[in-house]
Amino acid sequence: MRIVVCLKVVPRPEEVKVNLESKTLDRAGARSVLNPADVNALETALAFRDTVGGKVTVLSMGPPQFEPYLRVAPAVGADEAVLLSDRAFGGADTLATSYTLATAIGKIGGADLIVCGEESSDGGTSQVPPSIAEWLDASQATYVERIVSGKSAATVLATRVLENGKETVELDLPAVVSVVVGANEPRFIDYDRWAFAQSASVKVLDFAALGGDPQYLGLKGSPTTVAGLREVRKPGRRREVLTVTADDAAARIKAEIERAGLVRN
Amino acid sequence: MTGANDGGCWVYAERQGDSFLSVSLELLGKARELADRLGGELTALTVGGNSGAGAPLRRYGPDHVLELTHPLLATYDAKAYATAIGAELSKSKPSALLLGATRNGQDLAGRLAVRMRTGLTAHVTGIELDDRQNLVGWVPGFGGGIEAGVSCPVRRPQMVTVRPGVFPLPEGRTPTGDVREVVPELSEKDLGSRRVSFEVKGSSVDLTRAGVIVVGGRGTGGDFTRLEKLARLLGGEVGATRIATDAGWVERDRMIGQTGVITHPKLVLVLGASGAVQFTVGIDRASTVVAVNRDPSAPIFDHADLGIVGDLGPVVDSLLRALEA
Amino acid sequence: MTETTGSSGAVRFNDETWETLSAATRANLCFQCGTCTAACPLADNTPMRVRMLVRRAQFGETDPLIWKCMTCAECNASCPRGVDIVGLVRYLRQGKWRTREVPKGLPTLLWGIFSDGNTFHLPPKDRAAWMQDVKVPGRGSTLLYVGCTASYDPRAQRTARSVAKLLNLAGVEYQVMGTDEICCGEAARSVGNEGLYDDLQERNSAAFRQRGIERVITISPHSFDALKVGQAKYGGPPVVHYTQALEELCDSGKIVSKVEKRVVTYHDPCYLGRHQGVFESPRRLLELTGLKLIEMRNNRAQSLCCGGGGGRMWMETDPSERPGPRRVAEAAGTGAELLATACPYCISVFESERGSEPIPVTDVAELLASGARG
Repeated sequence: MRIVVCLKVVPRPEEVKVNLESKTLDRAGARSVLNPADVNALETALAFRDTVGGKVTVLSMGPPQFEPYLRVAPAVGADEAVLLSDRAFGGADTLATSYTLATAIGKIGGADLIVCGEESSDGGTSQVPPSIAEWLDASQATYVERIVSGKSAATVLATRVLENGKETVELDLPAVVSVVVGANEPRFIDYDRWAFAQSASVKVLDFAALGGDPQYLGLKGSPTTVAGLREVRKPGRRREVLTVTADDAAARIKAEIERAGLVRN
Repeated sequence: MTGANDGGCWVYAERQGDSFLSVSLELLGKARELADRLGGELTALTVGGNSGAGAPLRRYGPDHVLELTHPLLATYDAKAYATAIGAELSKSKPSALLLGATRNGQDLAGRLAVRMRTGLTAHVTGIELDDRQNLVGWVPGFGGGIEAGVSCPVRRPQMVTVRPGVFPLPEGRTPTGDVREVVPELSEKDLGSRRVSFEVKGSSVDLTRAGVIVVGGRGTGGDFTRLEKLARLLGGEVGATRIATDAGWVERDRMIGQTGVITHPKLVLVLGASGAVQFTVGIDRASTVVAVNRDPSAPIFDHADLGIVGDLGPVVDSLLRALEA
Repeated sequence: MTETTGSSGAVRFNDETWETLSAATRANLCFQCGTCTAACPLADNTPMRVRMLVRRAQFGETDPLIWKCMTCAECNASCPRGVDIVGLVRYLRQGKWRTREVPKGLPTLLWGIFSDGNTFHLPPKDRAAWMQDVKVPGRGSTLLYVGCTASYDPRAQRTARSVAKLLNLAGVEYQVMGTDEICCGEAARSVGNEGLYDDLQERNSAAFRQRGIERVITISPHSFDALKVGQAKYGGPPVVHYTQALEELCDSGKIVSKVEKRVVTYHDPCYLGRHQGVFESPRRLLELTGLKLIEMRNNRAQSLCCGGGGGRMWMETDPSERPGPRRVAEAAGTGAELLATACPYCISVFESERGSEPIPVTDVAELLASGARG
């Protein structure tokens, strides 16, 4: 089984600064982390590989500074790591991002199963996994908590977590699966592999190496545009803030509850 | 250069069994308004295995109801649904397509956007029109209280997914519009997946309709027992921030905010949540907000009518005593 | 550690592992006298038996109950053969990371330490929040290493502020690392992940060097032990606990503290006392303030663990197996008005488990700060 895991390096949300005048987000000073749902995706992929055999390749897109984050993947058990890095990929929305990732998956030899996190903690669109599936003409199952082997080698069984229950589908391969955050407890770094992971090279693909249709890449391939940033309109709240004893606080809250017409006595 | 905006608005009306999700009806209400302002028509699109299911949508003001029916569409599959819907979009070329940001709605939207080579704005908490009549979807961004307006000026349809509860649920009215049924050409090989089983969740909660919500965040440290008791006393429900649901303290369907639900309660008590914008968008439609937090500079106090600076435990205990007295 | 499945079906580690293990811990010398089990605070209320744990190791087996151990080291102190049983427990736990058989929640704890630099999964940018109104000189070659608990836990933050205020009062020049500080790795080491512990020691050592640090003062006895052991390996600076640093300042007259006359009893934290042999500094500090110190029966090397060490802070413990309530009852039984200690874990455990015992729990530095004059 050839498995590709899409891993995103995201800035820590609390460290991103907003410049309302230039309408830009300043991520330069922000420390980064692996997107939490993607770490669950990696665990799903590794556990599945451990049962059925095969190879797990981690795929990411971003500047060369992301390399150290990707080295974590071989240290937990991934077989190789690939970073897509080129200015031509920058400024991508979900359409261009999914095109770039899908093209890279083809370039590195294709995959039977592509595992992503349900959504990124920065963009939060959850659109990239189904979009990759469409570019590759693969089947898809999003919001998955578990995958197991199917009846034949051409399928897997995926359990999706939906609003009203859990749906198990038989999914034709190749397929894209997105994994819900918290679906599993990701295995921790194996320090016996750490030195190997640090020395292992992360394969970097730039535009020349990737190929692909430039009209679908980066800013040019992104039909959406940020028309503006604004402060969230704060509703007209009273904003009365008190530092009082617990009992006084309780009395004030109770009065608020009664004012809202919720308790009669 | 800008795309056409008078090609009409489509709404994907999602079904659960024979009934439509309320988010789809909310979108019909909003899309009616948009279509009128843009001078186009409103089409409600529904997909399923049997014909005739679309008729109830006529009560929410569409000009047309389009039913795509085929036995292979009886249960949802992204590939088959995208094929069936994509063909109709290519034929009719609407200016906009709105979908509910449900799990299957998101699943479908991501695939369909690529099929149509168009832009998609996900999880919006507001839709406006810019001076060229393009849709601008407002998406809450990073902490720090900002939101980004995203538009898709050239490609069509402009696709947007909207959280449940963002727009008001319209009242059903006198039926309008015609119902047209299309049977797409599909075969087994157009499916990417087949449902094997479905385990219905025992108790599903819909916070969008709750009158009182007691919300716990990181500051609860994971102890929700007193919050549950408080919610019971007030006849309400327990809600949670993303941190609390990610930590597994509370089920995911109780998560409030940008990627959870947008609520409209009479009262919300926010306990131990700092007030990140991704969360506050989910409570800003409440009539009254009361917040308790240890940190006097927590942004939640800007979103509260009454804020209490202090430790959660003693305040909640006192409140429980006061309510039980 | 290599494991094989033997004919009995039990998973065994091989001879090479045993040789490394016994060389490091002298587990081969154990003659099964059972003194360790008699000394173990978990012997009466849990199924774990220290003697059995060592016996099974001699047979190449890892006792599944190793995770209950609080690494309090009462067994080490009592062993007539000098076996490092705590070292053995850590070693056996290490093997379980390799076979991925660790209790639920521990991988998540380590991911948090690895990526956030703290044991709470809280943003690194909030790490300096403990300081509030406290001003730090920010110069000199002494570092006040605050540690995760005193940086993020509001109760322990008070201890950190008290120590900083006392250092300020004494005119000590020192730095803090603020949002650049990272975990000392004690939690990783105690749950058996020596790899992450080493990684953190190396990173800390580089950071200390870069700041020109020649002496480290820690708030937590756990950081004290972890950094003292680890920095020795990486050529880092000497490390002391704050009770030692404050004792020097009191002795040289730079801090004078008088508090209202009350009776206090002192609980020896395992990692300050048994692990690092600091028994008298905190007692002297209490007595210098004029407080009357009375001892619990189990004091100094016989102190009873609160239950928070050995990674137990991150594993759920059944209420019937918690040693905390017994210790608080023992403190209350002395007739003291206050229970003082010098470890953020002990304070946190005692405060949450003291039940109806009215005895307030406090930290030595907080008592000292309450009556201090420059």
